[in-house]
Amino acid sequence: MGEDRALMIDVIDLHKYFKDHHVLKGLNQKVYKGEVVAIIGPSGGGKSTFIRCLNRLEEPSSGKILIEGTDITATRTDINRVRMEIGMVFQSFNLFPHLTALQNIKLAPIHVRRMSEKDAEERGRQLLKKVGLQEKASAYPDQLSGGQQQRVAIARALAMQPNMIFFDEPTSALDPEMIREVLDVMDNLAKEGMTMLVISHEIGFIREAATRILVLADGCIIEEGTPNEVLKHPQHPRTQDFLSKIL
Amino acid sequence: MIPEPVPSPPTDNWQKRPSWRERFGHVPWFRRYEFLGGLFLLLLLLAFFLPPFGRPESALAWMEIVVFFLVVLFWAGIILTDIEKPNWLKAIAAVLIVLVFGWLFYQYSGARWNKLVHAFFNWDVLNSTGSYGSTTSAWIELLAGLWLTLKLAFFSMIFGTLFGLILAVLRNLHDPVLNFFLTIWVDFFRAIPIIVLMMLIYYAFPYLGITLSGVVAGVLTLSLNSSAYISEIFRAGIESIHHGQVEASRALGLTTMQTMRLVILPQAIRVVMPPLASNYVAMVKDTAICSVIAILELLKTAITLQSWLANPTPLVAATALYLVILIPMARFSSVLENRMKARGISRAFASKKG
Repeated sequence: MGEDRALMIDVIDLHKYFKDHHVLKGLNQKVYKGEVVAIIGPSGGGKSTFIRCLNRLEEPSSGKILIEGTDITATRTDINRVRMEIGMVFQSFNLFPHLTALQNIKLAPIHVRRMSEKDAEERGRQLLKKVGLQEKASAYPDQLSGGQQQRVAIARALAMQPNMIFFDEPTSALDPEMIREVLDVMDNLAKEGMTMLVISHEIGFIREAATRILVLADGCIIEEGTPNEVLKHPQHPRTQDFLSKIL
Repeated sequence: MIPEPVPSPPTDNWQKRPSWRERFGHVPWFRRYEFLGGLFLLLLLLAFFLPPFGRPESALAWMEIVVFFLVVLFWAGIILTDIEKPNWLKAIAAVLIVLVFGWLFYQYSGARWNKLVHAFFNWDVLNSTGSYGSTTSAWIELLAGLWLTLKLAFFSMIFGTLFGLILAVLRNLHDPVLNFFLTIWVDFFRAIPIIVLMMLIYYAFPYLGITLSGVVAGVLTLSLNSSAYISEIFRAGIESIHHGQVEASRALGLTTMQTMRLVILPQAIRVVMPPLASNYVAMVKDTAICSVIAILELLKTAITLQSWLANPTPLVAATALYLVILIPMARFSSVLENRMKARGISRAFASKKG
């Protein structure tokens, strides 16, 4: 990876314990601007915990996390300012059920970015168009299909104009026929040069869009490399075992 | 030759219970209209021979009454247990049972109806001038009492809800020390009888240099008491919101308070409305306790008038006024509840009463 590109995420010796359970065992990782990093690995390996530590939805137990140079584990850091720069898309969508699709998207820009109602509205409609849901602006989440909800959730994350987006298994809760529409949106984002961390087992998407794969197992990064290297010639026996099960 | 497949029987009416004819090939004799009609004629005949008004003296008269009543029960019972009888006929049968029972009781119980009416339903009494030194009629005084009751209830609702909401939000901060004190606070006000609390605040506080007027003491007591219950209702409502909602809003950069205000509370309010409404019903009833600290609300007014007029009719009138206010409220809270159930939102909350 070229040093000329801006360093977006720098993780230094990250540990996470849940009580006595050692979930993350000293991770080190650098992510540069424009990278699409796919994180794969067996369940319980710490993928979600890793990604959630990066915007402190989980508190890291020790270690340092620098997001665009800001140490987010430092007590004086305003975590909400950092979170403004990080979009997050969840497995279960987590749209706000009492708000329409458009209101879901507008909420954070208005109340966090202090955007005017009019600008937020305009931006919201643009984003809905971008994810192909312009006619669903006034639909409530329970009137949308899973795939549509997840696309609104992506639009909601984009509305804050983040510098990077984390996807936590964005397609695992979806019916098979809806996975494609969500992956297409993610594909486009990757092409636009968005920095993305994606936990996903959609190998097709990873092969096409990812610039790098991390394999996380038992709280360690056991292997990393380009999709070609990792998917075709896995080195670590656990990676081989894992890939043989999902491919 | 391949045999034609046997058509399966129609399955669209599988839920329907089979009729008597389908089950037995005929309608049982006692369910036939001929029999029921004959029985009704017998009823009319028995009714004709019922003894005159007043407690019957002969055993024969008693027997006549009992037989008449049993035949009515039998007749209505057959109709009410028959799914094939039309609904209007069942309605008539049901009303008939109630009317006949009421009529027989009225005729033969030997109750002193005149005295009862004179004591408890003596509406003329309400037109006379009210209690000592009053210039208006008892009716007007009762309505003034009702007005004060409504005011007490209204302000207790406002302060109780606000205070309960604050308690619930504070509890949701999950601060162990704060929670310890909040738990004690809430448990204390849930455990202490309202009437005791009210008397303490009204009669004991002046010795601490805090003298409150009756109405203020009443509202304060009711608010403190209801806020404890309401905070539990709100807390359950807040906890019923999926944690993913909090994560999503925090990940967007909303602060804890913004998350509460913009995401959690708007959702929690919907869940909380039915138990809250039924709590409000209980609060209106609880205002009656204010009568112990000499606030002239509806009950106290009625009691005062009762002793002044030497007649309990004001109490009955007050009861009627309470019902006029509370039955619609109770109905409204049930409607809310059903609407919530229809929407499939779970309400696993214990409300205060009813």
